[in-house]
Amino acid sequence: MANVAKKVSWSGRDRDDEDEEDERAGETTPLLNGTGPGAAGGVRQFTPSFLRIGQLSNVDLNEDIRELETELPRQHPNEIPHNEKLLSLKYESLDYDNSENQLFLEEERRINHTAFRTVEIKRWVICAMIGILTGLVACFIDIVVENLAGLKYRVVKGNIDKFTEKGGLSFSLLLWATLNASVVMVGSMIVAFIEPVAAGSGIPQIKCYLNGVKIPHVVRLKTLVIKVCGVILSVVGGLAVGKEGPMIHSGAVIAAGISQGRSTSLKRDFKIFEYFRRDTEKRDFVSAGAAAGVSAAFGAPVGGVLFSLEEGASFWNQFLTWRIFFASMISTFTLNSVLSVYHGNAWDLSSPGLINFGRFDNEKMGYTIQEIPIFIFMGVVGGILGALFNALNYWLTMFRIRYIHRPCLQVVEAMLVAAVTATVGFVMIYCSRDCQPIQGSTVAYPLQLFCADGEYNSMATAFFNTPEKSVVNLFHDPPGSYNPMTLGMFTLMYFFLACWTYGLTVSAGVFIPSLLIGAAWGRLFGISLSYLTKGSIWADPGKYALMGAAAQLGGIVRMTLSLTVIMMEATGNVTYGFPIMLVLMTAKIVGDYFVEGLYDMHIQLQSVPFLHWEAPVTSHSLTAREVMSTPVTCLRRIERVGTVVDILSDTTSNHNGFPVVESNPDTTQVAGLRGLILRSQLIVLLKHKVFVERANLSLVQRRLKLKDFRDAYPRFPPIQSIHVSQDERECMIDLSEFMNPSPYTVPQEASLPRVFKLFRALGLRHLVVVDNRNEVVGMVTRKDLARYRLGKEGLEELSLAQT
Amino acid sequence: MAPVRCLLPLLVALELALGPAAGQLRRPLALGEAEELAEELWEAGGLPGDLPELEPECRRLLSAFAEGSAALTGCLGRRARPVRLCQDCHRHYHRLIAQYGNITRAVGNSSESHNCAKSILTSDRLQMVVTLSVFFNETWEAANCANCLKNSSEGLSNSTVEFLDLFNKSLTCFEHNLQGQTIYLSPINYTEVCKNCNETYKMLNDLYNNLQRMNRQGGESGHSAHLCIDVEDAMNITRKLWSRTFNCSVPCSDTVPVIAVSSFILFLPIVFYLSSFLHSKQKKRILILPKRIQSNASLVNIQEKYS
Repeated sequence: MANVAKKVSWSGRDRDDEDEEDERAGETTPLLNGTGPGAAGGVRQFTPSFLRIGQLSNVDLNEDIRELETELPRQHPNEIPHNEKLLSLKYESLDYDNSENQLFLEEERRINHTAFRTVEIKRWVICAMIGILTGLVACFIDIVVENLAGLKYRVVKGNIDKFTEKGGLSFSLLLWATLNASVVMVGSMIVAFIEPVAAGSGIPQIKCYLNGVKIPHVVRLKTLVIKVCGVILSVVGGLAVGKEGPMIHSGAVIAAGISQGRSTSLKRDFKIFEYFRRDTEKRDFVSAGAAAGVSAAFGAPVGGVLFSLEEGASFWNQFLTWRIFFASMISTFTLNSVLSVYHGNAWDLSSPGLINFGRFDNEKMGYTIQEIPIFIFMGVVGGILGALFNALNYWLTMFRIRYIHRPCLQVVEAMLVAAVTATVGFVMIYCSRDCQPIQGSTVAYPLQLFCADGEYNSMATAFFNTPEKSVVNLFHDPPGSYNPMTLGMFTLMYFFLACWTYGLTVSAGVFIPSLLIGAAWGRLFGISLSYLTKGSIWADPGKYALMGAAAQLGGIVRMTLSLTVIMMEATGNVTYGFPIMLVLMTAKIVGDYFVEGLYDMHIQLQSVPFLHWEAPVTSHSLTAREVMSTPVTCLRRIERVGTVVDILSDTTSNHNGFPVVESNPDTTQVAGLRGLILRSQLIVLLKHKVFVERANLSLVQRRLKLKDFRDAYPRFPPIQSIHVSQDERECMIDLSEFMNPSPYTVPQEASLPRVFKLFRALGLRHLVVVDNRNEVVGMVTRKDLARYRLGKEGLEELSLAQT
Repeated sequence: MAPVRCLLPLLVALELALGPAAGQLRRPLALGEAEELAEELWEAGGLPGDLPELEPECRRLLSAFAEGSAALTGCLGRRARPVRLCQDCHRHYHRLIAQYGNITRAVGNSSESHNCAKSILTSDRLQMVVTLSVFFNETWEAANCANCLKNSSEGLSNSTVEFLDLFNKSLTCFEHNLQGQTIYLSPINYTEVCKNCNETYKMLNDLYNNLQRMNRQGGESGHSAHLCIDVEDAMNITRKLWSRTFNCSVPCSDTVPVIAVSSFILFLPIVFYLSSFLHSKQKKRILILPKRIQSNASLVNIQEKYS
């Protein structure tokens, strides 16, 4: 409590302004204190408040004093530089709670048992389609990347080979850097100028979506197209990125698109799956899509389901699990069969994911009990390195948000990173004297450079390749393929490159770079271990490379269960489950000690009102009364159209839900809560001009159906686009049929954790706070809850900001 | 690399590389003679010991197989270094395959009581004949000899013959150019070798790369990506001689321009970040004040007065 008291940066405010803005507010607020409860509270508040019983009373003395103290120095709203302790107004909640109004009930009553069964079958069909399409998109990305990257590397290799003999390698360097930069420029431009939400791996965005935050544009077809092209271009552009993370986003977009049976971007409506056109249903499919994405990326169907469960869904039911698993399986199977046809060995279903870690031979790579402490130590290292990665990336991202916010600058930055990545790679290869004999064709693009004929530069296998291939090389190349110096330099350089790259305005994932860093130092660790133990039996570097990769990835993203299963499935080795689990656990514990995970960090930096699994632990002393926003803009059951339009067009208070109260002609008294209506519903009502007068004149031919609401979903027109004439403004509108007559409410005394649980478990968007006479006192929304966060010094409070 | 230090490996390598090339004509003849001799001995002596359950015909098949495998083993061992497996042993190998085939096909002949295939191949735990044939097959596969032999019949394929010719030519060239010098003196000057044999070496190298590329393209149609071991080894030896011992392939290392270009590129981000830090307007967020109950202080005050 005391901690909260310290941080009231937002407290200074002008009440008069608010009152003028909002005519209903003027009616509702005085009631709070003006009538019965006010008087009672007023009497009560002096005596017991120091004993902290005062929380039960309406107004707490401590807070009053604090108010008066803090109010003066902060009179007007101010501008501050972006920081992590903000919540953006840009983000809204999704309506996961069904509006159970009369229309809905009527429709549900009409649907009989068999119709419900059809709906259930449709769900399965949609999941299958999600799986198939996700798999196909993954194939497309894989094949295009393979060909384009192959082309690029062949061109550069030819050039380097030519200039090695004649001199003039600086031209090769320039060629490589220019190629990279130009490819990345295209990739970055489409992201920066067309769809900025496609930047990054997309996992934070999907996490937010499944948490119930509506990120604008996140599940649109346009985003998918940009994402896919962006990933291809950034991987081909040689950045330190992977194509696996974006698959999750792609899967989610595909799921959201298919389940709606239409595309608003293409203006095509296939008139199917109309039942699923609401946030609740869409969310379930999006979880399936994310799972299918993971499954296509790593060939890990179970890992995909667990990823959805762990990272994504705040709301889950058991039916969903099986369906999502189905989608995942279909997705990996599709990828498998298409790729096997592409690679010429049809029906050999052995390349299940975009990244295939290859077989870990049981005999050679077994582990013994003595190695467990070593693995745990590697977990510690991974946790520390991951925390370092995140901390560096945090500063970089903060800088980017503050200074590099113009699209042109973002494109230039991405190009520079691409050029520098190529340069660093080239210089490392140039300086390396680590030559290895060519053994068959295991190396895709062997660069000879200064090595003797018939040998290749071993640094080039790590740098002169797509990151996925490098990871597999590090896992599986026989002992002695890399010397420790090469690995050390590679780890160091790649660490900084990857850290620098994540957060650029390109669509790219962080999974593969993390795995690569980890695999490099893990292999280094394995090699030095076998030096130390004088070539002991169990020191196969490939095994340590795997553990290092797991530790590094765990230290960066801090996923636990799903990552263990993903790694297990990707290696195809169940016996590694235990050491991988230990490594990830240690990495998470150690990493969490310093900073939080990369995805959570980016969510926080984007000022997203994200609800974590639980309310902050020390928040029990807060009650709904302190959390809620008040006064509330209410509507009467039969409201004047003009009032509704005015409220909706008020830009300063962009509310989305309005409690509906009993329409009482006597304006001095507000009657009890009758229901809740959403902005989107009101807009549909206004658009169809469902006014009482028109109904009386029998001008409305048909009653409004639920379909009308669904057709407008998810892009409801803004209020400005709806024309209401002066005469119509005087009409009345009857909300009782459309409002949700049973909104969730809490009394003012409910504690924050209790409110939080309601929100989190039910996926609420609005929670009305009422007093003991069922009169509206306040409203709790997502931002009211998300602003409490457990910081370094206890409970912190975030401020709202316009971004 | 100092010339003194590499003198010893040079000699060994030279000997290894040149020896067989010089003696290639003579060797197969000698081997043929030895085989004939062995066969004669065999005919005369027959198999000692009594194998009652083995029919004479089967015994003959078995002994043929044993003889064939002995010959193949000998060949493989002799041709292990420098590798000449495919060129010299393919006849033995094919003969052995035929003999093994005879044994397996022998089922039809005497199916009524004992059949050869069963009694030779599968009647004991060890299954020596199968083991041997598996071993030979695997070795042959690993050596990838099919790659430099003609498709169906025996004999080296044209490209392999061409390659080996060129290989011999370049070895002769090396030898010629080294003969003029007294290799026992420490300062060995290889510039002459490098200059004179450059063309042959280049041709050999190009041919090898061509073969490899063709092989990789044809890789989808059955063959694996390796060339046959003879060709690979020959090329390896030549390359080692060329670039390690003779030190002929000295790449031009232009460190200064590379450093200049890379430092220029590495310098760009610093300029970029500094300029954007200095010139770009920092993004400001406008704080929005939430409506909270605490800010009803004024109301509370009024309310206090009422009460």
